[in-house]
Amino acid sequence: MSTIIGGQVLRDMVNDWIGDGKRVGGPGYVGNHLILYRWLHRSDELLLESYPRPHNSIKEFLFPSHEKLYHYKIDGQHIELSEAVLPDAQQIIFAARPCDAASLPILDHVFNWDYRDVFYNRRRSLTTVVTLACQDHDAHCFCTSVGGGPDDERGSDAMLFALGQDQYEVRCFTDKGKALFEGKLEESTRVGKVGPGPERRLDLETVREFLKTDFESPLWERQTLRCIGCGACAYNCPTCHCFDITDEKVGSAGVRMRSWDSCQMAMFTVHASGHNPRSRQPQRQRQRIYHKFEIYPSKFGEILCTGCGNCSRVCPVGLGITPVLTAIQEEQAARAGTGAAQEAGREKVDQ
Amino acid sequence: MTKQLHKVCRELLESGKVQVIIGYGQKDRGQPPHPVFITSPEEVEGLVWNDQCVANLTTYLTRKEIRALGKPAIIVKGCDARAIVVLQRESQIDRSAMVVIGMACNGVGEPRLAKCAACDAHVPAHVDITIGEAVSEPVDPERRYNDLNVFMTQSTDERMDYWQDELERCVRCYACRQVCPLCYCERCVADKNRPVRFSTAPTLKGNYAWHITRAFHLAGRCIGCDECTRACPAGINLRLLNLSVARAAENAFGYRAGLDPEAEPVIGSFSTQDKESFIK
Ligand code: SF4
Ligand code: SF4
Ligand code: SF4
Ligand code: SF4
Repeated sequence: MSTIIGGQVLRDMVNDWIGDGKRVGGPGYVGNHLILYRWLHRSDELLLESYPRPHNSIKEFLFPSHEKLYHYKIDGQHIELSEAVLPDAQQIIFAARPCDAASLPILDHVFNWDYRDVFYNRRRSLTTVVTLACQDHDAHCFCTSVGGGPDDERGSDAMLFALGQDQYEVRCFTDKGKALFEGKLEESTRVGKVGPGPERRLDLETVREFLKTDFESPLWERQTLRCIGCGACAYNCPTCHCFDITDEKVGSAGVRMRSWDSCQMAMFTVHASGHNPRSRQPQRQRQRIYHKFEIYPSKFGEILCTGCGNCSRVCPVGLGITPVLTAIQEEQAARAGTGAAQEAGREKVDQ
Repeated sequence: MTKQLHKVCRELLESGKVQVIIGYGQKDRGQPPHPVFITSPEEVEGLVWNDQCVANLTTYLTRKEIRALGKPAIIVKGCDARAIVVLQRESQIDRSAMVVIGMACNGVGEPRLAKCAACDAHVPAHVDITIGEAVSEPVDPERRYNDLNVFMTQSTDERMDYWQDELERCVRCYACRQVCPLCYCERCVADKNRPVRFSTAPTLKGNYAWHITRAFHLAGRCIGCDECTRACPAGINLRLLNLSVARAAENAFGYRAGLDPEAEPVIGSFSTQDKESFIK
């Protein structure tokens, strides 16, 4: 047995939520070609199927690109602080991809570690995540290499499976998910299927072996020299979470803000003295890989990557995670000796 | 063309005339070519040339990591080559200390990039070696501004709404800046934090400040390679802003950036005959 819902009912639900003052974020067209997650005004802005995934991530809905932390007023020696208004609207992330939803339990660690981040956690508790299982994938997707997949349930409160003819199977995993669909579902015998998902093409054990021994490897230089040091990969990554804190002051009053930041930017590590411990781009690229595949897993037990492939999708110079990890794997295969390398080559041909 | 490119590059490296070739490689045929830095003659086979070579490689000429590789030869299209003229005029490069290889080009990108429809640089100018053949014909200047002209048929309010929607999406990833061959400042005004010059946060206000500043800093300098527009992950059509300032420079001063290595840069010179009609 399964429970299903019609596409029109779904769209009506989205409109009702918006009408009730809930915030609904989901994928839609920006211009004629680009598909991004955005806050929706109407359900007809929503784009459900026939594309691999949006070029940005859902993190904007929980950890926005800029946020006021508190207000301040300076009057001589006297400084007055006032709290920023905390978000209080219920929000629904609709038709997220599994590789986006999976980022939330991963991010929960860092936002509840040495400090409980009030803003993130507040939004997290106000949010219900409805994921759409993937039918399609493209050359950048690699969820299956990092423990995910087209119907990975991590982070989802409910999941939709396209049945064709504007029908969806709905699986609710949490109370939040159940509450959202309460009274809306029909019983059925139809069960949703997913696409095959991307072929598993990375072996993280091999990658971590390399990271343990090869901090100084010439591979970093060779492989990442073309990186131009922008924030495109990090800002569209569901798991990157660094931010910068700045003051925006007009006269004697202002706000303290936090805005996204990226370890790929040269300014990220500049000390007040002017010294920059990561002065070259390959060092910054190495940092991104180490943080995701070595540091975060050592600290929190989970890889800081869901395999969404956005870093490669948006990179202006064809870099991102996969080209680097693939190069690491090739290096490891070459080291393991010609025999093993041939073996790997044969496997590739077989696939 | 690729064979000839390999031959030329092999000779340049073997003779020691250059130490590195800044060119295009393509490891995965399914993906567009990406920048590569070839330092030994054995690797030149890794260089590719095809109509998907969109990146403007001249942005690497001023990067310290690439400079450290030694004297470069760089592969450019006609539009890209203009950046070298500007960089030289602005004393950012020593033109005599590099070899510029120009590829005849009939257009790139899938679909073809907007700039290619009004290109008058199919044959690169001011290069040291030209590979391939193409015909560059003069283009009706208005054709270069087609997209801008269409945009300008809208009312002021409509245009304001458009920019509001577009700039709201900017996340300040600075891909537009990093990819730009003429955004070579060591410390961009957008990164100044002692004191902050304008909001570094991606608020609508901060984004307006960033984009207006960026457009003005590139006035009379932008060569129209549209790399910023290609790089922008938010799909913001920065091309419209660039066209607007480029037309101001062309109309008011008869100047187009990167065409003539001898011409006085419009930003770096003045004349008592200068028109002031654009100051309102
Ligand atoms: S590192 Fe790349 S593939 Fe991994 S989650 Fe981030 S954007 Fe996706
Ligand atoms: S890998 Fe690509 S997207 Fe990321 S910083 Fe480098 S150039 Fe930008
Ligand atoms: S603008 Fe001209 S030179 Fe540049 S890519 Fe297009 S056709 Fe080639
Ligand atoms: S590339 Fe796009 S999103 Fe990034 S800073 Fe430039 S305009 Fe903004």
